[in-house]
Amino acid sequence: MDSFIQQLINGITLGGIYALIALGYTMVYGVIQLINFAHGEFFATGGYVGVICLSFFTGLGYMETHPIFCLTASFALAMMYCAYLAIGVEKIAYKPLRKESRLAALLSALGVSIFLSNGLMLTQGVYDKAYPSELFQNGFNVGIITISYLQILIVCLTAVLLVALNLLVFKTKIGMAMRATAQDKTMSALVAIGSNRIISLTFAIGAGLAAAAGIMVGLYYGSVRYDMGFLPGIKAFSAAVLGGIGNITGAMLGGLIIGMVEIFGAGYISGEYKDVFAFIILIGVLYFKPTGIMGENIDDTRV
Amino acid sequence: MIQEFKKIWKQYAITMLWLLGILWPLLGIHPDGTLSFRQTFTVWSYILAGTFICFIFYIINKSDNFKLLTEPIANTSQKLNNSLQSMPSWIWKSALLFGAVIYPIATGRYATDVAINVLLYVSLGLGLYVVVGLAGMLDLGHIAFYGVGAYTYAILNVKYGMGFWVCFPFAGLSACIAGCIVGYPTLKMRGDYLAIVTLGFGEIVRIILNNWMSLTNGPNGILGVKSIGILRPVMENGFTFEMFWVTKLELFYYFALGLAILTIIAVTRLGSSRIGRAWESIREDETAAELMGVNTFYYKLLAYAMGAIFAGFAGALFAARMRFVSPESFTFLESVMLLCMVVLGGMNSIPGIILGVIALIALPEVFRGLESYRMLVFGSTMVIMMLFRPSGLIAAKRKKMMETKQPEERG
Amino acid sequence: MSKKSLSIVVMSLLVIPFIISTASAKTLKIGSMSPLTGPYASDGTDIKNGVLTAIEVFEQQEGPIPGYDKIELFPQDTVCDPRQAVAAANKLINLEVVGVIGAYCSSSTIPASETLNEAKIVMITPASTNEQVTDRGLPYMFRMCGRDDDQAPAAARFIKESLNAKTIFIIDDKTTYSQGLADGVSKNAKAIGLNVVNHDHVNQGDKDFSAVLTKVKAANPDILYMSLQGYSPAALMTIQAKRMGITSQIVTQDAVFQPKYMEVAKDTSEGVYLTYGFTDPTTPEYKAFEAKYVPKYGKIAAYATYAYDSTIALLKAIKAAGSTDADKIKAELMKLDFKGASKHVKFKENGDSGSSYIAFKVEKGEFVPYWDPATGLIKK
Repeated sequence: MDSFIQQLINGITLGGIYALIALGYTMVYGVIQLINFAHGEFFATGGYVGVICLSFFTGLGYMETHPIFCLTASFALAMMYCAYLAIGVEKIAYKPLRKESRLAALLSALGVSIFLSNGLMLTQGVYDKAYPSELFQNGFNVGIITISYLQILIVCLTAVLLVALNLLVFKTKIGMAMRATAQDKTMSALVAIGSNRIISLTFAIGAGLAAAAGIMVGLYYGSVRYDMGFLPGIKAFSAAVLGGIGNITGAMLGGLIIGMVEIFGAGYISGEYKDVFAFIILIGVLYFKPTGIMGENIDDTRV
Repeated sequence: MIQEFKKIWKQYAITMLWLLGILWPLLGIHPDGTLSFRQTFTVWSYILAGTFICFIFYIINKSDNFKLLTEPIANTSQKLNNSLQSMPSWIWKSALLFGAVIYPIATGRYATDVAINVLLYVSLGLGLYVVVGLAGMLDLGHIAFYGVGAYTYAILNVKYGMGFWVCFPFAGLSACIAGCIVGYPTLKMRGDYLAIVTLGFGEIVRIILNNWMSLTNGPNGILGVKSIGILRPVMENGFTFEMFWVTKLELFYYFALGLAILTIIAVTRLGSSRIGRAWESIREDETAAELMGVNTFYYKLLAYAMGAIFAGFAGALFAARMRFVSPESFTFLESVMLLCMVVLGGMNSIPGIILGVIALIALPEVFRGLESYRMLVFGSTMVIMMLFRPSGLIAAKRKKMMETKQPEERG
Repeated sequence: MSKKSLSIVVMSLLVIPFIISTASAKTLKIGSMSPLTGPYASDGTDIKNGVLTAIEVFEQQEGPIPGYDKIELFPQDTVCDPRQAVAAANKLINLEVVGVIGAYCSSSTIPASETLNEAKIVMITPASTNEQVTDRGLPYMFRMCGRDDDQAPAAARFIKESLNAKTIFIIDDKTTYSQGLADGVSKNAKAIGLNVVNHDHVNQGDKDFSAVLTKVKAANPDILYMSLQGYSPAALMTIQAKRMGITSQIVTQDAVFQPKYMEVAKDTSEGVYLTYGFTDPTTPEYKAFEAKYVPKYGKIAAYATYAYDSTIALLKAIKAAGSTDADKIKAELMKLDFKGASKHVKFKENGDSGSSYIAFKVEKGEFVPYWDPATGLIKK
């Protein structure tokens, strides 16, 4: 029983991480219907900028005196950096292809993904980078169950971001503009919505979320690596689709489900087949509900 | 003219400044709490110099200053094209075939090896073309069928000692069955939902190959797969046959070439047949196709099955050629690259796909000299190719005819 | 239509580099194969750096090889993908290299070695520990590192004799290397009367091991044996295990012998044991290697030393053979008997060079020799 609760906590944490990445995925998809393969690389870049900032602060000696400030600053800087990166990438690699077939943009996104992960490898080295502090690494015990502060932080952050994003999309003018752009770019242009600006903004928000996830993962696991974006990227994409791609709450739900299935599959059935269980659940859900758990009926989108 | 390019120059300058902003945090902030600028500027100035040269060429080309150079080339190619078109198609086809036949003799071992990879991927790519290009279903797990084919041959050969030619149809058959298994639950799904499910299937197959120790020998892979054996008549003691193992790369090339040609012919015929038109109608509008009496269920399943069969054949040949199979050859990235080959080449034309395969197999090999920079260059090349030719290297003819109203092509 | 022909022209330009192969005399060409991109780029880069250092040291110590001005290395990227490995091997054959150092993944080494052996090129692997690498009886295949079936008994004995453990929980990450080793340890441990509580697997590329570690915690074994390919997942697992409050002693293997492991795992790596071929850092050979390697590439990792020794062995053999003929080089390789940086190099009939696995312990961020199976003594 104890180990069941422990596995539940593990599952929620992993699900939270997937959800964090999936949120950005689903936002970008919702607005321009692009599977942004580079999203996983934004996530990795965020983790790297986080480690660079934190090491820098540690080097200056601020880390001991103002840990909370340093952490917040690193989060802010990494998110800003990734937003800046994403806006540029969008302008260079995606915008000229917006009118072309969606597969062209997909291919371009894949090229960007390969480019970014190798760029990270070349500038940051082939070795893992360790996060400098053991901040939040500690935890407390309830019986024999261990909960670390970071696990709580991850879950809280995911929940807060979920609420904030839902508010942004459904309660603000910008959100309205986003939804309008997502539905029809020409029409929204006619009512004076700058779709280019909205798309840039969406990319910036999505990449910022990915960067936040990158730092969380870096802190939680203790290190970052240049190819760390690839697998979580696929998992988060699966999560976003499972929840109904384009739907923010769905992405969260999808992330949690995938995380849970993986942990419980590995914990109770078989470690090597855990991804198989995740994908079988995915296929099963999509078989009975072809647009994902919370997805609305989409038009006949084809490749 | 200067006015014309002012905007482009401005964009270029902004891009370069953006790049500087991207580079500096990665290179200039050090863990000991110091900031530096020199390394960033060195790297940046290299990139600046490189892109500047390319950019100048681009501008000169755009402003038609290269006319002196390009015009004769364009003219000759135009003439060549015209003469090609006026020639009966069998002449240039046989010329092409002749070129392909003498290729391994004319080139070295490495070139032949790359060519074999290209030919195997042509079969694979054309299989995927049936699914993606003709039937319009996004497939991110096609490499799984390749894996099924390769493993079928490897297992049958190593465990039961069956020869290549006996196993070859089985490889196709088992891949076909796998295709139907994937195809069945996905029939209701469309677009990206379909993509993720095929991705899932691809991964499931790879994980099973990696974990089913008793059958596939797990990550160790299967060693000692026999190459293709052919019966060769021997005249010494009367007239007998002797088993001859195709181990030489040059000989193997011809088998790969044979399979590729077979696939090209089969897919061309399929595409222009009744089935092909049914697929295209599904691609264009599934609901309308169903209304017109096309059995979408059957044809979609058939598309998967056909695509998988070609992949299975290619897989069997791959196993015979490597004489070793392991799950590392059938990863998700490989599936994505395969899709890229199809998209890059121009989704709806067979010559385009062949060109796409050549580009994506050959480019990483061309960039081999760059060592660890090669994937970086490869990634950016992919983006640039897509930017300049967004509808693929060779856009489909039929599509062009329909879209004559569209403004002129980009690039 | 002209665009079509233009793209055909571009494509044919791309093909030209394959057709023209440059050849220049007076340089001795050797090749290396290792993953320079992809998930194992760190180990692959270590190998390349080791080979480069070896060439530098060899030229300095022994002077140029008669008939050649200099030695040139052609490092090839395999991405740990069998197809690319074979392509790399063929590329090296085309470049007319005399010998090849590599590859890293056993699944790359096996098909690549078949190709190289057909072309009669000597191949020495510094990192592929799978038995099948040399057991296939290929004439020009050599191995500098140890074998899985040597390391596994050493690890099992160490666990029983030195750590006095009774129960052991094994985790591997389903690669040729890690699984082969884990199976070996499991078999040997059972044979000498240890209780293998569980043998579980994770997947390559995983970052989160909490599910399997929760199982470990519930089982509470004396030993957690981590058989993971590379230091990176090992560091992640160590951190997570300690965070979860697992008190079992952790034993791992030679792929983790990389100073970056302690850098990432920090305090949690203290007291972790690992088996690795015995390397005496006080010998002049090791010092010569260290003097050239460390200033350029940083701390020495597991495979760099083996790559260095492989290259030195190859170059010595080429020099002694005075020819680029594979059979002569092979004969000279078999005759070799010298002290390398990692160990005393002497090749056996099947191409193996023997292994001398001992146990190391992580103490204060350093790998310290701890236990030697030959003497059973604990070194301090």
